[in-house]
Amino acid sequence: MANFFPRWTNVLPLKIAICAGALAGGVVMAFTWYATPKTLTVGYQPSQPIPFSHKIHVDQLGLDCRYCHSFVDVAGHSNVPTSNTCWNCHQHVQKDSPKLQPLRNRMDPTLEHPDFGKPVEWVRIHKTPDYVYFNHSAHVNRGISCQSCHGRVDQMEVVHQDQNLSMGWCLECHRAPEKHLRPLEEVYNLKYDPEKYIADNPHLQVETTEELGLKLKEQWQIEPRESCATCHH
Amino acid sequence: MSKRTWHHPEIPADDTTVAWKSVGQIEDSPEFREWLQREFPRGAAEMADEEDAETSRRSFMKLMGASTALAGFGMAACRRPESYILPYANAPEWVIPGKATYYASSMPRAGGATPLVVTSFEGRPTKLAPNTGHPDSAGTDNFAQASVLDLYSPTRSRQVLNHGRPASRDDLAELVADLAADPSARIGFVFGRDDSPTRSRVAKELQGKFAGARFYAYEALESEAVKALGGRAFVADFAKADRIVSLDCDFAQLDPVGPVSAFFRRRKPEGNDYDGKPSADNLNRLYVLESGYSLTGGMADHRLRLKPSEVVKAAAHIARKLGAGSAASGIDALPAEFQQWIDTMVDDLAGANPGTTLVVAGSRQPAAVHHLVAAINAKLGNIGEGRTLRCVHTDGAGFGDLAQLVADLQAGSIDTLVLATPSNPVYDAPADLKFGDALAMAQTSIHLGLRADATAHACTWHLPACHYLESWGDARSANGVHTVVQPMIYPLYPDSASELDLLLALLSDDGKLIVGEGEEGAPTPAYQAVRSTFEGLAGKGEKAWKDFLREGFLADSSYDGADFAPDESAAARAVGELQPASGIELIFATDGSIYDGRWIDNGWLQESPDPVSKVTWDNVALVSPKTAKKLNIYDQIVALETPTAAVPPDGEGEHRKGPVVKITANGVEMEIAAQIGFGQAEDTVIVPLGYGQGYNAENAMGFAPANQSHVGQVGINTGSNAYPLRTSATAYSAVGAAIATTDRSYPLAATQEHHSMYGRALAREVSTLEDRKTHRDFEAQLATVKKHGMDSHIPPNISLYKREDRQGNDLISDKIHQWAMSIDLSSCMGCNACLVACQAENNIPIVGKEQLAMGREMHWIRMDRYYAALETKDEEGNKVVDEDNPAMIPQPVACVQCENAPCETVCPVNATVHTEDGLNAMAYNRCIGTRYCANNCPYKARRFNFFDYNKRNPLVPHNLYRGPLGEKQVGTSAHLQRNPNVSVRMRGVMEKCTYCVQRLKDAKIRQKRGQKQEALAAGDSTAVEVSTSTLRIPVDSVKVACQEACPAEAISFGNLHDEGKARVNRAKAADRNYDLLNYIGTVPRTSYLARVKNPNPAMPGAEKIGRATIHMH
Repeated sequence: MANFFPRWTNVLPLKIAICAGALAGGVVMAFTWYATPKTLTVGYQPSQPIPFSHKIHVDQLGLDCRYCHSFVDVAGHSNVPTSNTCWNCHQHVQKDSPKLQPLRNRMDPTLEHPDFGKPVEWVRIHKTPDYVYFNHSAHVNRGISCQSCHGRVDQMEVVHQDQNLSMGWCLECHRAPEKHLRPLEEVYNLKYDPEKYIADNPHLQVETTEELGLKLKEQWQIEPRESCATCHH
Repeated sequence: MSKRTWHHPEIPADDTTVAWKSVGQIEDSPEFREWLQREFPRGAAEMADEEDAETSRRSFMKLMGASTALAGFGMAACRRPESYILPYANAPEWVIPGKATYYASSMPRAGGATPLVVTSFEGRPTKLAPNTGHPDSAGTDNFAQASVLDLYSPTRSRQVLNHGRPASRDDLAELVADLAADPSARIGFVFGRDDSPTRSRVAKELQGKFAGARFYAYEALESEAVKALGGRAFVADFAKADRIVSLDCDFAQLDPVGPVSAFFRRRKPEGNDYDGKPSADNLNRLYVLESGYSLTGGMADHRLRLKPSEVVKAAAHIARKLGAGSAASGIDALPAEFQQWIDTMVDDLAGANPGTTLVVAGSRQPAAVHHLVAAINAKLGNIGEGRTLRCVHTDGAGFGDLAQLVADLQAGSIDTLVLATPSNPVYDAPADLKFGDALAMAQTSIHLGLRADATAHACTWHLPACHYLESWGDARSANGVHTVVQPMIYPLYPDSASELDLLLALLSDDGKLIVGEGEEGAPTPAYQAVRSTFEGLAGKGEKAWKDFLREGFLADSSYDGADFAPDESAAARAVGELQPASGIELIFATDGSIYDGRWIDNGWLQESPDPVSKVTWDNVALVSPKTAKKLNIYDQIVALETPTAAVPPDGEGEHRKGPVVKITANGVEMEIAAQIGFGQAEDTVIVPLGYGQGYNAENAMGFAPANQSHVGQVGINTGSNAYPLRTSATAYSAVGAAIATTDRSYPLAATQEHHSMYGRALAREVSTLEDRKTHRDFEAQLATVKKHGMDSHIPPNISLYKREDRQGNDLISDKIHQWAMSIDLSSCMGCNACLVACQAENNIPIVGKEQLAMGREMHWIRMDRYYAALETKDEEGNKVVDEDNPAMIPQPVACVQCENAPCETVCPVNATVHTEDGLNAMAYNRCIGTRYCANNCPYKARRFNFFDYNKRNPLVPHNLYRGPLGEKQVGTSAHLQRNPNVSVRMRGVMEKCTYCVQRLKDAKIRQKRGQKQEALAAGDSTAVEVSTSTLRIPVDSVKVACQEACPAEAISFGNLHDEGKARVNRAKAADRNYDLLNYIGTVPRTSYLARVKNPNPAMPGAEKIGRATIHMH
């Protein structure tokens, strides 16, 4: 019987394996890069039309979150400031900064820019799916800080997504809110240090962050819901 | 594969009520059996046998393989696009993104504006609710609820037309300016029959400017009372009326005579708030004499079927018996068979205290009846302040009618005609007036309307009208309370203008048509005119005006009272004009879904079933069973309903067809599908008006395409037009009509057999009268309501499922809120207000006629309508059911939120689960569409999205079946109406009533803000103890959409933890409270209150009243 397989076929399985492996790897990489939504990943940090720095405004200047996000404690939606909120100060401050040119175009009637009166198109960073109902006021009025979901925004030059906002992540806190509860006075204080707070308030008779959370949970009747209709309707 | 069926025990021996929903059922047609057995409508892909199953599995694998392969190409869709947040540049005052604002406004209409509170999201009006602070508030009806859709209707007129062709608005504006500059212009103005103080004032000023101007008012179905009373009107006060007689007056729904809520408050024996002991003394008594069932007729304690000509005789009989006026002597005597009935009724009226009775005549009745009824009421002492009827001067005095307009046009005394009536005279004017020809005689005619209808095309110019939610105006409610019409949104379409905008342009010197806002943001002339009218009444000043805008009305304003004395000579003249009766009488009825045809392009209304016939999307001729047998169409109607007949080629379940009949009256004939109307007078045919405005080649009736451009995608090919048969002398009924059968049939989509429930004692009814057989008095009957039907002998069901979690805690554990509802059948009349309100609130799509015929309607509330009659024995001992004259009992059914919900236990993916506060929640994003839940729902309250009705346009024929190739409707104007707090559901998802969970959530979250207030007050949040009362929303402060809309206040909703403080708990504590299908152990949160009838013991057949307890088997 003749030699049915020529000699070169000896390395064929290896070649096939390498090719298949490369292909599979390529598919995985392509999928990861191409098909996973960037807007849902932790660390998503798009560039904004105006490079607004939270670090300067919150950390250095000491603005409260609610100066700009003014309806966060009354509405479900935390509003992004309207252009006239920015303009209140920036018609007097940083009048020549080129970074603020888009704002001036929209707000300064003397420039007669075609964009006058149009909104600034901020890129959305935190997005929950359409079928999720999330209400900011329900959280911040009950002792959950901005920081729990958005991280140390006061330290961010450019804002990025700090938490993954998945349903499992939501439920983690709904099952054990005591890890995140803090006194209502401290909700907007991003520099809040629970250990320091407990040390400063010995009358509360609590030792740990969690004990403080449990105390507040009981006092305030905080019973976060886990049933579907809480967020989906 | 057969289904295991529940074998119901026999009905208790003493219960002889026979109930049915449709003619198919009373004839026990195979199709109805099928609907019952099916539990879930056709179209649900079922495997009939093994062979079928094999094919299905194989094709499933094929499809799956193909779609997996294709998924690779479609990967781009996975990538979520970058999205943007666009804040306002300048924040408008009061707007908080994501929060609704509420404004008072009103919907102007004939018979009194409907006061409203408009919900608006970021300047986008989405939902209407009644303004309960308004003295004339009486809920909302289906038309008011659906009117918000008209604002966003994709088929709304957006362009100026010149001779039916698109034209420039500037040209029209120039024309208006030329008219305004010419005081010698002879202009005719045609308004609707609504009253607007500003419009009346402007009309007077226009008369001053244009000496040749003439004013008319026209609506297609205007009341004949206008003729009889001339500038005056009667407004009824139902609160004071103990005995009410309606002569063909559907005052509860289509024929308002005064705020109707007061009537329904007197239908609850415990009082409207359920806080008293049940007593027959709290109830009013309603007698209805009518030809076909109206919803008011369904509420009647005593109802008599009469032909239209007999209603006139009955009115005369009552007048003669009471000695009210002499005009009645000119009318023939009533047939003897009805005399005893009416005599007993008149005794009841005459025996009551003066001023506590009320006789009302329907707007369809001839002027003679209105004269007679006025004389009767005068005789009974009902007219005057503090009595049941107020005579008032309306603003419409001095306006001519359509006949005068036609005469003036023919005489050439009008050059320019401005048509601002909401009706469509070219289409709906009486045929003998030949309005179209007369209109052509005007040199210029300007039509102002929301739709580019027949009149718009016949006029030289058509100007798109602003919706009332876009324009400034004012209106008068039923009692003439000065009520504001506020714009909620800037006009959507730049070409449009409101009625006041146009009138004020003509009144101004430069004739400039200013809409939306004036130059440099100045208010429009319409705003200034409305404000100056108001200042004329309430004085100048910012505060009074702001209060007016906030409250929506001016307190203590009302129509001026008028004196009334019966006018014998006018009455005698009107009697002389009566038509002699002969043969079959054809009744031109107001349609319960599209009124006079003005709502034909409103999808919500078209798809809401007719309250009585339950037909959607079309009108049908109704005839009583006996008359149908006489006319040889009965067998055709019933036979066509069987599954063996006329199965369409695609094999799906839209079997229902109506035989097409040819109706001839006044020498004109029409073709229309016929159906059986129960409880209808013999020898009458009822044809609802308003349909058949345009057809294209696809119409199933086989008509030649005509008037396609007069009607939009919703209204095209719907029903048949009955207006050509109508003359001014026979505006509402014609005598001597002929009906001929044809060999054709027409597909109909009717919901009456869809979602049929099995069971005993679904709707329950008791009487205030002692039962002759069982000797149970009212109290004893109330006590046994809970024991009707199966509930008398079935032991309590024990669930195998434990309602607790692994730790043994109750799953329904919320200590703060537990939601519940009660529906009072005693005051529910079966209008569709709740159904449409639910549709508006919960983003419920329409599915189109094709899908609806298969039972795929999406309405979360369905309005069941049962007929019931007592079974008697004839001389030979055979059982007979008087199916010609049954009682009608409506029952709204939505998800009843069972505590032991059968749907939850069968869901394989836990997409429907209970919440802690007692809701049966539905997580759409989790649903995979197995539909097990719907199969297991005994109430048939679940609805499935067979297609993506939101994304694909269901109105294009077969579009849904074209998949991605079909026409999409994303981003059309109708989507602006969506409630942002409710998910828009996609294909393959189950949905159902959620007790408006979005409203409950909103109320709860708002309430939680109280904690912050307490912390602020205390100064230290860690020291605050938040109590249950802080977190519990105030008693009865949250209303669900159906409850809010209900004009009868039949729905109560609230928190079980509020105990006796909440209306719902007092209702549930009433004796007549019962759970639907209680014996199967589902423990529903929605309960029903049995209907109470208050018959007059002396009336013939009184013992049969109040026995319409419904058993379906």
